[in-house]
Amino acid sequence: MSDSPRPPGETATVLRPAVALLRGLRSGLARGVGPLEALAGAGASRPGEVRDALGAAIARLEGNYSEDEWGFDEDFADAVLPLLELMYERWWRVNAVGVANVPAHGRALLVANHAGVLPWDATMIATAIMREHPLPRPTRFLVLRWAFELPWLSVAVRRLGGVVASPYNAVRLLEEDELVAVFPEGARGIGKAWSERYRLQRFGRGGFVEIALRTGAPIVPVAVVGSEEIYPKIADAAPLARLIGAPFFPITPTFPALGPLGAIPLPSRWRIEFGEPIETAGYGPDAADDRRLVLELAERVRSEIQERLLTGVFQRGSPFV
Amino acid sequence: MAGRHVLVTGVSSYLGSEIARGLAADPAVEHVLGLDERPPRERLREVEFVEADIRGGELRELLPRSGVDTVIHNKIVRRPGPRLSPRAAHEINVIGTLELLAACERAAGVGAIVIRGSAGIYGAEPDAPQFFGEELSRLYPLRTRFQRDVGEIENLFEAFARRNRDVICTMLRYQPAIGPSLNTQITQYLSPPVVPTPLGFDPRIQLVHEYDAVGATLAAVHRPVRGAVNVAGPGTIGLSRLVRRAGRTSLPVPAPLFDTATATAQRFGGPRLSPDLRRLLRYGRAVDITRLTEEVGFRPRFSTPDAVEDWVRAKGGRRLVSAVGELLPGR
Repeated sequence: MSDSPRPPGETATVLRPAVALLRGLRSGLARGVGPLEALAGAGASRPGEVRDALGAAIARLEGNYSEDEWGFDEDFADAVLPLLELMYERWWRVNAVGVANVPAHGRALLVANHAGVLPWDATMIATAIMREHPLPRPTRFLVLRWAFELPWLSVAVRRLGGVVASPYNAVRLLEEDELVAVFPEGARGIGKAWSERYRLQRFGRGGFVEIALRTGAPIVPVAVVGSEEIYPKIADAAPLARLIGAPFFPITPTFPALGPLGAIPLPSRWRIEFGEPIETAGYGPDAADDRRLVLELAERVRSEIQERLLTGVFQRGSPFV
Repeated sequence: MAGRHVLVTGVSSYLGSEIARGLAADPAVEHVLGLDERPPRERLREVEFVEADIRGGELRELLPRSGVDTVIHNKIVRRPGPRLSPRAAHEINVIGTLELLAACERAAGVGAIVIRGSAGIYGAEPDAPQFFGEELSRLYPLRTRFQRDVGEIENLFEAFARRNRDVICTMLRYQPAIGPSLNTQITQYLSPPVVPTPLGFDPRIQLVHEYDAVGATLAAVHRPVRGAVNVAGPGTIGLSRLVRRAGRTSLPVPAPLFDTATATAQRFGGPRLSPDLRRLLRYGRAVDITRLTEEVGFRPRFSTPDAVEDWVRAKGGRRLVSAVGELLPGR
């Protein structure tokens, strides 16, 4: 694909395959075959690229694609990756540090701070690992429950590898030796006000540590700088939130004033830092019931992320330019 | 365990007949007794048929006399049809199970009871674990009439199991079944050329193939385990992919209007969708089948996507050859 303006005569050449395709389609339909077969027949006589694209589209329409048992759809994730890479490179200009700390294989639990109303931070962590890790691997992430009540968002999240934030799901994914990202702040993190940015909220009851101990998965602390600025929340319309059943209803400089356009995140500059893995296998699975150990480890992870956040904000410099 | 005597309730349904056939072909089983309100469509060879209503008291007389040592309870109505009111379905489900268990209590010889129940007890919830383990049956309130029926059946069965410790009580929790010979809600839902789906939702659906549905019950007879066991084909399939594989066109309907739309479609001859299925189509459900594969020792031959493929290949309604016996463990 070139950006340069096309010479006037070339338009016809570009359109030619499309026109020929439509002709083929029409003659196929006139012969009385079904629309899908007609499309396939018309595509078969076209140049390779078009044929491949058509083949893929038809396979998709016929349901000939694979999902795993969690609903993760690799084709869909691949199709969306260029968009996420664009956001990663151009929009947020992400600087990823220490990606090699993420284990290349086997189970691992990424624990990150959570900010921004939509789970963009999860997608950027996943993109960072897909792009910068020596052995790229997909990341499964645990998503707040109410996202799964919403139309479209629930589908997109599921196909990209998101699952409901439930300990059962996390344990099962880790037992399948997947890479799982969790945000222990949950709704407290994404719903916090502008004035509280980069202050980590309470880490629940340390459930993520229990999960890591039970499965013996190493914990990788992740500090995401920049996600706080994408939707600066200046107020919360709590009655509206109650009405639609959401945990909060954010009011930002652009939302809801600009309508759907307000959902476009601001182009802040990001820095994602992956810390050294904290091994948990040595404690044994029974340690998950040791409240003291769980809380100590949770506090250790929390303070490490908080520390990296503060130095990260400083190292990133100006938030937008 | 030579010479077992088995009673199968609901023997005239397709799965009931196939289970009875599988048992009759089994050398370890000496005698098969089938019970239903109407005779099976085809006469079952080597199966003694008793025409009786499970809700009536006949069982209490019959069972102690018959020398039955294993009971398979297959008479659970999953959806009220045009000729069966919801009330009658509820009575068959709950009163029928109550009568059956009362009869088993009288019959000293009964050593094992297998109920072909439903995974519907887990419900279909947006924030549910993506794979329900057997211990998670009471995570959510029972929302529909059928769910409450299943809940009541499980309560009755658990109480029975507590009182009769020497009887091995197995509750099989079935996901919806699909297969060329079956006529179920799922196959009816998928039969019209245009299929309504909730707009913006694409839940994970998990099904069990009819072949495995029969095989799982037979396996549970051979290796009885106590408590609940999930039965499903491994894996899941997204609703949109399911509809596409079936060669149908989906008609997305906004979720708040879905119930009204399907009710209207039903008035014009469309398939009837129970509240359970409507919730399933919005939120989906999958179960963990570790217990089935490890403890019962039954490995489903068809994964959920394979089961769908098989149904798609043979929609014409072929008969399933009952050769499930070969699949059983230890043979």
